[in-house]
Amino acid sequence: MADKKNRSVWGAVASMWHNHSYIFVFLLILVVYAVTIQMNGRTFTPGHVSSILSSQNTVIVGTMAIGMALVIITGQIDLSIGSALVLTTGVTVIVFNATANIFLTVGAALATGLLLGTINGVLVAYARIPPFIVTLGTMLIYRSLALWAVREIPPDVSGSSSSQFAMVPGSGAYDWLRMQFGTGSLVIAGFSIPFVSILFAACVVLFVFIAHNTKYGKAVFAVGSNAKAARLSGVNTQRIQASVFMVTGLLVGVASIIQASKVGNITPASSGRAYEMYAIAAVVLGGIAMAGGRGNMLGVLFGVLSYATIDFIIVSIPALSADIQDTFQGLVLILVILVQTAGPAVRDRFQQWRRHLRPEPSVKEAEPVSAG
Amino acid sequence: MTGIYKSFDENQVLRGVDFSVERGEVHALLGENGAGKSTLLNILAGVLPADGGRIVFDGKHYPHPSIPQMEKAGVAFVHQELNVINDLTVSENIFFNHELTYPLGFLRQREMIKASHALFERLGVDLDPTLKVAELKTSQKQLLEICRALHAEAQLMILDEPTTALGNDEVDHLFAIVDKLRSEGNSFIFVSHKMPEVFTISDSYTVFRNGELISSGPVADTTPFAVTRDMVGEKYADLDVYEPRPLGEPVLELDRLSSTAFTDVSFTLRRGEIIALTGLAGSGASELMQAIFGAFPIESGEVRVEGRPVTGSIQRFMRRSVGMLPGNRKENSVVPDATVLENCYLAEHSLSAHRQWINKAKETTKYEGHKQALNIKAQDAHGAITSLSGGNQQKLFLARWLNTDAEILLLDNPTQGVDVGAKEEIYGLILKLATAGKTIVINTLEIPEIQKVSDRCIVLYAGAVVATLEHNQINEHDVMLYSTNAINAVKGE
Repeated sequence: MADKKNRSVWGAVASMWHNHSYIFVFLLILVVYAVTIQMNGRTFTPGHVSSILSSQNTVIVGTMAIGMALVIITGQIDLSIGSALVLTTGVTVIVFNATANIFLTVGAALATGLLLGTINGVLVAYARIPPFIVTLGTMLIYRSLALWAVREIPPDVSGSSSSQFAMVPGSGAYDWLRMQFGTGSLVIAGFSIPFVSILFAACVVLFVFIAHNTKYGKAVFAVGSNAKAARLSGVNTQRIQASVFMVTGLLVGVASIIQASKVGNITPASSGRAYEMYAIAAVVLGGIAMAGGRGNMLGVLFGVLSYATIDFIIVSIPALSADIQDTFQGLVLILVILVQTAGPAVRDRFQQWRRHLRPEPSVKEAEPVSAG
Repeated sequence: MTGIYKSFDENQVLRGVDFSVERGEVHALLGENGAGKSTLLNILAGVLPADGGRIVFDGKHYPHPSIPQMEKAGVAFVHQELNVINDLTVSENIFFNHELTYPLGFLRQREMIKASHALFERLGVDLDPTLKVAELKTSQKQLLEICRALHAEAQLMILDEPTTALGNDEVDHLFAIVDKLRSEGNSFIFVSHKMPEVFTISDSYTVFRNGELISSGPVADTTPFAVTRDMVGEKYADLDVYEPRPLGEPVLELDRLSSTAFTDVSFTLRRGEIIALTGLAGSGASELMQAIFGAFPIESGEVRVEGRPVTGSIQRFMRRSVGMLPGNRKENSVVPDATVLENCYLAEHSLSAHRQWINKAKETTKYEGHKQALNIKAQDAHGAITSLSGGNQQKLFLARWLNTDAEILLLDNPTQGVDVGAKEEIYGLILKLATAGKTIVINTLEIPEIQKVSDRCIVLYAGAVVATLEHNQINEHDVMLYSTNAINAVKGE
């Protein structure tokens, strides 16, 4: 009886582990973070969680990772999002400095992101160039355009004399966007949640809904799972393939609004480097299959949080330099995927081993027969 | 080969068959799909192990033949889907895995090209050894495979439907080369469904049916009619499920439809009618069906649904209530990562995409209705589609189209990979749907299936309609005569 109950609890945990292992991965990493903080003589507080929620790796990479997840679910890839972020934020900052109008700024951010995503989507779906190649090309193009523009554009428009685009302070719009929204928080019962984190969370909720509760979402998964069957069921596979890049573009636009309001500037030569890789890693950590067709959008949230937390762990250990961050992130990525892929094989071995141990009574029963 | 047995799981494919080929002869191996031809040949080539029997080649007994062993002995299998490497040159293909090299492993290219030249000259083959294989025509690739086999000193070559992708001149050329090699003492096993070819090139024949040897002997002692009769056997179709139904107004019209795969096909279907398209590989029947669904490009002619022409994409055909259950279920129907319910609703969703919100409760109710009506055995609507058996998957995909309220159902090989019980169920369903007013086109190679359900049968050969048979005229013998064009082989004599 006790054994049965025990087993059903284990069964529930096992099925949770199987379907939502990304939650365990995140919780484990969070525990490691709490332990490192305590070991370094400080106390782990809700403020630490709050700073994870509002870190650039969460809100900016995370927003773009939602789009990346859709792209990967269709069996494709987008390498251009880091560069697209730089170019889009450049345009956003310029429009803001020129107009000091929040609506125009937001509109410019979304429109630019959408345009850059549409270029990717059309080349991939309609010109039939492999997505890796297309987005590798646009990755180079988008960043170099931003690099070129920042030098050519007069400082009063770019907002900075050096090599970056920066929001020019002094207007009411600046106060609202940077001071109120970008760095402000909503305080509920003593726990402060940054507005940018709320925006990111809203995007997650919206896209979890779209991916799992709309016909569009079902079609995205179907195209990634079996494009031929989807086409023969009337799904316009090319349109779906293009659309996920366009959605990613829109989300790059949202991310650039966050970048502009939270950070206030962007440096084309160095900002957003390897963001596409972080986004891919977050998606994979979130349990979405690189081969397409499989995964849960909610996983992206936990993948992103796991990644951001690793950063904080490294920073909280004084003996480690920030340069070593990528090593740990890479290791965790490989380790988690290793556990996921090798896990079933290890479990099978374990079951075989148990079966090997268990048949002892039946061997005894069989003995008289062989003796006779 | 004597007394060869082979079964896959429960399914006995070969029941103690004997088969022998003499030196210097072309031996035709004949039988319907599933008769056991390919299994036997795969055993001979060492691809599959036999469950029982003796294989003797060139006086030597091979108890457990393996691929390298049989290759070494001189058996070469020229597969229907060619096994040449497109990115290498012709001579590199010929010498693949047997390259001539200098001591350090560098290739002796010039010698290999020279040797290839000599080989081609001997055979009267016009091939340039330095060309990339990708640039060759299908017929040339076929010849290349034969040359490669000869270069490996093959004594016995298995040609599995070698002419399906060839034009008439190319077939003649191939046969000329086979003729020449035969006179030099090489032997061939020739698998083909085309009677005229069988009777042109072969010296002797063997017919299999249901894994048993039916007849064997010199080709000169038989006729295409007799061979066809041996292939199909006695009529074993029970016709009890079919009943004539009153037919409605014309709903589907094909008007001189032509494409790269078929030419000048016209017919009219009335509401509630079931028509069968049949034809062997390369007959264009499958492509014709896809063309009625917008999945295969039409070059000329017109498809009309309820009097109005339809052109363009699959979506357009779906909007005019046409649905297609494609052949090759795993490749074209199954969305493996989606649930049973999601698979059922895939087509409906793409038609109703203007309303994006999914009503899960309503969908589940409707799915349960289909499940009842079609007797789909599935435990959980949210379970994996891959947990369903082939027959239940196929019924689910039928439900995928019933869900869209399709009036014209195109069923490409609907009982492919489905067990016998589920087959009967599917036949019953097809008739029930037709009685309820659905118009149905079936493309199938299984003649008993056609007899069971169809009002009419259209036989295609090489892309053209060669016969239209009414229900009471449909029998295996005649359908096989038309689809192998044996009828013309007889006339030609």
